[in-house]
Amino acid sequence: MHRLLPLLVAVPLLGAALLAALGRVLPRVVAESVGCAVSAGTAALAVVLLPHSSPPLVEWAGGWEPVRGYGVGIVLVGDGPGLGMAALVSLLTLAALAYSWRSFDEPPHGHTGAFPALMLLFQAGMCGFAIAGDLFNAFVWFELMGVVAYALTGHRVEEARAVQGALTFAIVNSLGGYALLMGIALLYARTGELAMAEIGRGLDAGGPPDALVLAGFVLVLTGLLVKAAAVPFHFWLPDAHAVAPTPVCMLLSGVMVQLGVFGVWRIHGTVFSGPGGLPAGDVERVLMVLGAVTAAIGALMCWYQRHIKRLLAYSTIAHTGLFLLGVGTLTPEGDDGVALYVIGHAGVKAALFACTGILLDRFGSVDEHVLHGRAGALRGVAVMFAAAALGLAGLPPFGTALGKSVTEEAVGGPLTVLYVVVSAVTAGAVLRVAARVFLGLGPRPREARGEDAYETTGNGEEPETEQRLVRVPDTMTAVPALLLAGALAAGAVPGFADAVARAMSEATTAGLVHTSVHWTPVGIVLGLVSTLLAVGLAAVAVTRPELLAPPARALPLRRLQSGHVGDYVAWLLVGTTVLGVLALPAVLTG
Amino acid sequence: MNPRTRLWLVATGGAGLAALLVAACLRLPDFGGDRHPYGDRAVRASLERHVANTVASVNFDQRAFDTLGELTILFAAVLGCMVLLRQTRDEHRAPPEPADVALPVRRYALLVLPVALLTGLYVVAHGQLSPGGGFQGGVVAATALHLLYLGADYRALERVRPIGPYEAGDALATSAYLVTGVAGLIGGSAFLANTLLPYGMFNTLASGGTVPLLNAAVGMEVACAVVVLLAGFLDQAVEIVEEGEDGERDDDGHDHEEPGK
Repeated sequence: MHRLLPLLVAVPLLGAALLAALGRVLPRVVAESVGCAVSAGTAALAVVLLPHSSPPLVEWAGGWEPVRGYGVGIVLVGDGPGLGMAALVSLLTLAALAYSWRSFDEPPHGHTGAFPALMLLFQAGMCGFAIAGDLFNAFVWFELMGVVAYALTGHRVEEARAVQGALTFAIVNSLGGYALLMGIALLYARTGELAMAEIGRGLDAGGPPDALVLAGFVLVLTGLLVKAAAVPFHFWLPDAHAVAPTPVCMLLSGVMVQLGVFGVWRIHGTVFSGPGGLPAGDVERVLMVLGAVTAAIGALMCWYQRHIKRLLAYSTIAHTGLFLLGVGTLTPEGDDGVALYVIGHAGVKAALFACTGILLDRFGSVDEHVLHGRAGALRGVAVMFAAAALGLAGLPPFGTALGKSVTEEAVGGPLTVLYVVVSAVTAGAVLRVAARVFLGLGPRPREARGEDAYETTGNGEEPETEQRLVRVPDTMTAVPALLLAGALAAGAVPGFADAVARAMSEATTAGLVHTSVHWTPVGIVLGLVSTLLAVGLAAVAVTRPELLAPPARALPLRRLQSGHVGDYVAWLLVGTTVLGVLALPAVLTG
Repeated sequence: MNPRTRLWLVATGGAGLAALLVAACLRLPDFGGDRHPYGDRAVRASLERHVANTVASVNFDQRAFDTLGELTILFAAVLGCMVLLRQTRDEHRAPPEPADVALPVRRYALLVLPVALLTGLYVVAHGQLSPGGGFQGGVVAATALHLLYLGADYRALERVRPIGPYEAGDALATSAYLVTGVAGLIGGSAFLANTLLPYGMFNTLASGGTVPLLNAAVGMEVACAVVVLLAGFLDQAVEIVEEGEDGERDDDGHDHEEPGK
């Protein structure tokens, strides 16, 4: 079975090459069917391989197995988390392609196959990153997903904002890529190895960490956290999400950002967790501080948005913070919880973007204030939007709720409160949108007196379909419904959570430490508390908007999101330095 | 953020990063040491498979899976550029004007063109023997075609490089690399395994098993990709004008675009 691992990358790549070669002559429906079939085939392969991942599948590309412990080849690791991510990526790509089926803007003349081909390339890059066991190989797929994502983000080139968003995305993420590459170079210089496990062994042989290991850690982490959109590396994400086509947003927010967190988990666990890496306490400090700040800022900014796509983008940032907190505990419980949370979150967040896409194509706007009361006729969409919001808050039995409750127990103390509040605030913002847009509740928001130059309205967005939709196609409503069902099943299907926990323990401790994951009374109560808090916040915001309106104090925070690439680059440099300072005690005491 | 704050932030962050890098570089292995763990192993593996150029063996055999990623990054970048540089609804095409070229330039370009093209193909073909290979040779070959643009004009260039076939060639070369990889898997071994073909005699064109095949696929992919990429940018510079512009350009269309690679 392990021989089939590279096909997770090769199959979508072959599909993309085929679509690009024949794109000029293929009719649109054929191109889109091929795209769906290939991504579905890859998803099926990942799902078939998953049960065989214990013990993890290990494949040396080209058959270059190490001889007497020394290898020259590239190793692919098909353990539960890696294959699980590949399956999640593939299923979500399939959902995005199905969603864009006949609804998306007419493809450019002579490039019928271009959009599905790019989506397949995106899928291949993400799958390759998920199963990479070699640090440089991980970087290659990391770059592939970046390059494709920039192009997909700027797909609607007629709009200046789309080009600007894609350019910002490209510049900031390329700098992250350079940081990652520099980090890899440093680690290679020290150990002469590129396979993650071998680098880890090489570092351990070199004794306690020194400045080079610290720099390697900080640079690798910078690259991954840029992708994961952790504060202060996050500025590209809202700008890109606001302009990217809806199916692309589903992938960006649903899995690509989470792959950054996955990379942190994977690389820390295999490279830096030994005695030659960084001491656990220092890694914990780095991830906890960054996670907490990311969660808080993401939630706050999410609450103050009226552009629905930007609002969802900030909610993704907030959740990235929560994931980082869970990973930062460096405990099996934290890992299990985050794994489940990521699965549930992917379904819920992609469904929210899918519903927002329907609003955009139907009304030509994604502005909460402009759409006030206009979407009352879309009952099904309203129900899905609200259900997804409750899933975001962590209402049992959604997968998000189970993952959240497990992680909450792992982080413990005041961070549990942060978990509850952050999920409640982001979900409250989404519920507020639902109440205003679909139900028309509350007074129609007045336009602010002195128009705030830093507030992005969601008005004047072009629908992605050729004309505004009169009737919503079935595929566009079926996809979010299925995604929500998936998120629900992740929490409700008995045995699923335990299977995830078993896969995680197999990957980290070879199955020695097995934690059981299940609903606990405390977890259920906390989930209900954050749901009630979210509903309460939304109710207050709708009925008494002035109570929760952004105070003048929040303005400087909003001004940071200036759209100026130079600012974002400056923050990236500051972020790298902050990472270095937070991890510095590892070298000083060691 | 005002420029001053930004400068201050860049200075702080940059200083921190610089300090980190300097501290790290002081701990790097000394220059000119005799410890090359990967290099020693790679050379041995390369010789075992009769590949004279170890770099080619690393690129197209030992770490061929990385090269697949690099190849598809270029492929994706070109596809993405074609989508982003497409002629949008508010743009139209204005046929390029014939351009006058100084006679010495014309003579030089037409003289050098076949030489450059041949050099490119040579560099590709000898990838497994001497420094060079698909990536480098592909760029040389693609650049050679563009001497026609310098020596004649844009219309002459357009005649020798119809975009459609080059786009198809780009995709087919990528497929060829993948198919070779899958053949290794079906042939009883692993994906991209170099065990199907005989390794041949050391230091000959046919040596190295699948290395020359993968190298040729990369050469074709890179050449097609660079042609398509330059065409996309040149089209924007020379032919495509925004609605409302009069279609006349001040220059003679000789904007010199650098390849993105």
